[in-house]
Amino acid sequence: MIEIFRSLFAPPRHLILLVAAIWLGLALAEKRTERHGISKEQLNNISFYSLFGYILGGRVLFAMTNISAFTQSPLNLFSINIDLFDPIGGLVIAVLVGWIYGQRQKLPFWGTLDSLTPFFATLAIGLSLSHLAVGTAFGGPTDLPWGIELWNATRHPSQIYELIASLFVFALIWFHKSDSPPGILFLTFTALTTGSSLFLEAFRGDSTLVFGGFRVAQIIAWVMLIITLLVSESMRQQRES
Amino acid sequence: MTTIQRRITYAIILILGLAWILISADRSGASTAGKIYAPQQGFLAPDFELKTTTGETVKLSDLRGQAVLVNLWATWCGPCRAEMQSIDKVYNEYKDQGFVVLAVNMTYQDDPLAVIPFVNEQGLTFPILLDESGKMANAYQLRSLPSSFFIGRDGIINEVVIGGPMAEALLRTRIEEILK
Repeated sequence: MIEIFRSLFAPPRHLILLVAAIWLGLALAEKRTERHGISKEQLNNISFYSLFGYILGGRVLFAMTNISAFTQSPLNLFSINIDLFDPIGGLVIAVLVGWIYGQRQKLPFWGTLDSLTPFFATLAIGLSLSHLAVGTAFGGPTDLPWGIELWNATRHPSQIYELIASLFVFALIWFHKSDSPPGILFLTFTALTTGSSLFLEAFRGDSTLVFGGFRVAQIIAWVMLIITLLVSESMRQQRES
Repeated sequence: MTTIQRRITYAIILILGLAWILISADRSGASTAGKIYAPQQGFLAPDFELKTTTGETVKLSDLRGQAVLVNLWATWCGPCRAEMQSIDKVYNEYKDQGFVVLAVNMTYQDDPLAVIPFVNEQGLTFPILLDESGKMANAYQLRSLPSSFFIGRDGIINEVVIGGPMAEALLRTRIEEILK
């Protein structure tokens, strides 16, 4: 079953999963955006500008960090190669573009994030499916009966753990009560996502390690969890006072 | 839930999280990277021994210490054909620094008579290897053509690029990475 799925969405066809997740996520977000004080048009605009910023920013930042490779073949700046891309840089630019658009349109900060939460949750599902298709984010070796054969070893099906967690988070977000104060939906999503990645990273076989074996992704997730809980507590206090 | 109860809950969650980080720390470096052979980034490149179009035998493990691009291709594959000139250009730019290209033709699923005319027509200067049995393709779990594996001097796969044609800028960035 997994092998059929991996053959069907072998790279570069795994991108279909990501594109489908973006499309479905935006459709779902659009369905409920008005309850967060954001119109469908505003949601579509902020999503479009941010995606455009992601694509353009990712390519430009990649070219800037590898300037010598591009000076010899400048037309490659317009190449369709998706590997000529800086995903982290693209994400930073996307957030920046979205923030600038939100400021200019005077969109409510927490309302905007709440309205985008179904999109983020769906994208997380798409990402885990994409990891499964490509075989990245793979698990560590195991002798458990549900281990899968991947990269010449029996491994934890870490991509399936990730998929189950993201489906669970999506269900909780989608059926979250609709009258919660602004920001709670997004913060719930962040807390659940960081919490699940903190737990599941332990089963990965490709973790970046620091200080004698600690997993970087877990440390980042833990710090993110602290920030989420602090922000959540501070918002609660503001509401109560 | 009162404020105190909530804060205690948050503190317990964070302490449990910290404990999990400590328990699940990978002190033995159990990450499989660089220890076993697999056609994936971070793993040792699976070894192979194949004949070239000129009859010589090339073994990947004999090239340890050099940066290697293993490119899997076929004459019927449009993107494979399209990237050959770029690969040849960068091969000639970097070969003096210890960069090697092994372009492995998937002969078992190609027309063997079409390989040499194509290489001559393109004027390719790097070695063309022939995978007549499909054993090498199997070891590299070939699913799409072209597939390119950028292998560092330590024999570990630094990057896998599936699909093409690869732009020259992409080739240069990846080659400079494996030459380090």
